[in-house]
Amino acid sequence: MAKAFKEALESGKFVITAEVGPPKGVDIEEMKHHIELLKDKVDGLNVTDNQSSVMRISTLPVCRLIQEAGGEPILQMTCRDKNRLALQSELLGAYILGIKNVLSLTGDYVTVGDHVDAKPVFDLDSVLLLETMKGLEEGKDFAGNELKGEARPTFCKGAIVTPEANPIEPQLLKFEKKIKAGAEFIQTQAIYDLDNFKKFMKYARQFDVKIMAGIVLLVSAGMAKYMNANVPGIFVPKDLIDEMAGAEKGKALAKGIEIAGRMIKTLKDENICDGVHIMAIGKEGKVPDILAEAGLS
Amino acid sequence: MWVGYTKGLLKEIGIEPERLKMFNLSSSMAPAFKDAVEEMIEVAKKLGPTKIQKKAA
Amino acid sequence: MIVAERKPFEEIKAMIEGCKKILVVGCGECVSVCMAGGEKEVQILASQLRLAFEEEGKELEAGETTLVRQCDKEYLEKIKDNIDDYDAVISMACGAGVQFLAEMYDQKPVYPALNTQFIGVAEREGEWSERCRACSDCVLAYTGGICPVAICAKGLLNGPCGGTNDGKCELSKEKDCAWTLIYNRLDKLGKLDNIRKIFPAKKYSVQTTPGRRIHEAFKEKE
Repeated sequence: MAKAFKEALESGKFVITAEVGPPKGVDIEEMKHHIELLKDKVDGLNVTDNQSSVMRISTLPVCRLIQEAGGEPILQMTCRDKNRLALQSELLGAYILGIKNVLSLTGDYVTVGDHVDAKPVFDLDSVLLLETMKGLEEGKDFAGNELKGEARPTFCKGAIVTPEANPIEPQLLKFEKKIKAGAEFIQTQAIYDLDNFKKFMKYARQFDVKIMAGIVLLVSAGMAKYMNANVPGIFVPKDLIDEMAGAEKGKALAKGIEIAGRMIKTLKDENICDGVHIMAIGKEGKVPDILAEAGLS
Repeated sequence: MWVGYTKGLLKEIGIEPERLKMFNLSSSMAPAFKDAVEEMIEVAKKLGPTKIQKKAA
Repeated sequence: MIVAERKPFEEIKAMIEGCKKILVVGCGECVSVCMAGGEKEVQILASQLRLAFEEEGKELEAGETTLVRQCDKEYLEKIKDNIDDYDAVISMACGAGVQFLAEMYDQKPVYPALNTQFIGVAEREGEWSERCRACSDCVLAYTGGICPVAICAKGLLNGPCGGTNDGKCELSKEKDCAWTLIYNRLDKLGKLDNIRKIFPAKKYSVQTTPGRRIHEAFKEKE
């Protein structure tokens, strides 16, 4: 049985989480393999929710599979596809299965995905979803109705922040609202510039939240340039792009792993934040290598 | 701008937009007028009749 | 005003397949202003339909008229006397006008020539942008006069989302991020505290479908 994620956060250790993206369809062999590979190496395993608005298996059953395999799931919940009724049902359903870690997200817009004509919901947003969880913990649903009986759910509530957002001020205003709404842990969008991140952490340390730096594995210089141009809030500095470009032919991925490992090691050794959240999109099999590179396996 | 729009309207009903062109001329520019007419006659010859079948009056 | 745009020509033509006499009815208000369904657009559509029918060797008689507006029975009455001469009517009004005309003249098929898009404003000649979603719960007092329901793609009340990029929306570099605009406007007004509070969720129950409003003075009183 995995230790509860909340315990790991409260222990003061350098927390490590990774993520599992359910597939589109019912062929879950590869996903089960990733769960097996990662479950004992991390303190929590996020399950993404129709990531990038692409339809995939829903998060709750996958969290259950992680639990059954002996891992500690973190249920990612976006507001894109479910109204406040469905969100609360899912939260209560997760809780009764022992799934208590929830990452609250607004969600990518529908048209960036593969069902462009679907009706976007966004009944709530990530802030209101955190408030909803707090309300359920206190025995009331979103409409103020009392929950039946004495039992109350408790969640380990998380949210995200984009430290490299431009402009940064509205992002920080929202970050503070998430904390006010009850966020206990934060997983950041991918960071690459440690100096910028240190500045962000200097601001963030005034709040009582655990912050885990987002680490996205670079696989090529091209990927870095693409993200700089197209992904909001990600900034890969020139020296890292050059380092990737300078890698020997066929060794770009290894270089990416080295960079990720090095960043994690620095974040831990210099006590910059409380942990890391590793997003190896499509390369989940390489997460153990990244951890090894960071001296953390 | 409006000529482009009108070309679009013609295209919508299957009439070649090249059949319409705007020339800026004054009444004293007879040679330019001749050239414009000849240019459009060529266009009309190349494209042939439109599909519009006007019933005989 | 209501902003609309004309449907693709082929779609409109297919609606009146088999008709020999149709009446194209324009509207003199919103759709005239946004150049979609006013007198000029009636002339253009009627001409196009006649020519397109002639291309197929068919004749089409297309009558043209433009009413002051189609959302008022008083003005819809104008076509009462000659509507029965026609096989069908194409209304170039917004969705509301089309329905009102169809309701008054339910003996005739009434077809919409426009796709009604939004409540908006004229940014410049020939360009209109959405500003209002008629959500029955206006929050403009808190957001410095910028509507998060109409301008934010996700309609967030606690924005911005993580997709905001350099003041632009996740969806497209052409779209402004409503929450960046709101932040900057409130900053300028010295009212950022408005959005430091957690905004409660939208009350969708006030948006009844279909909506109805009766002015106080016209309600039945005891």
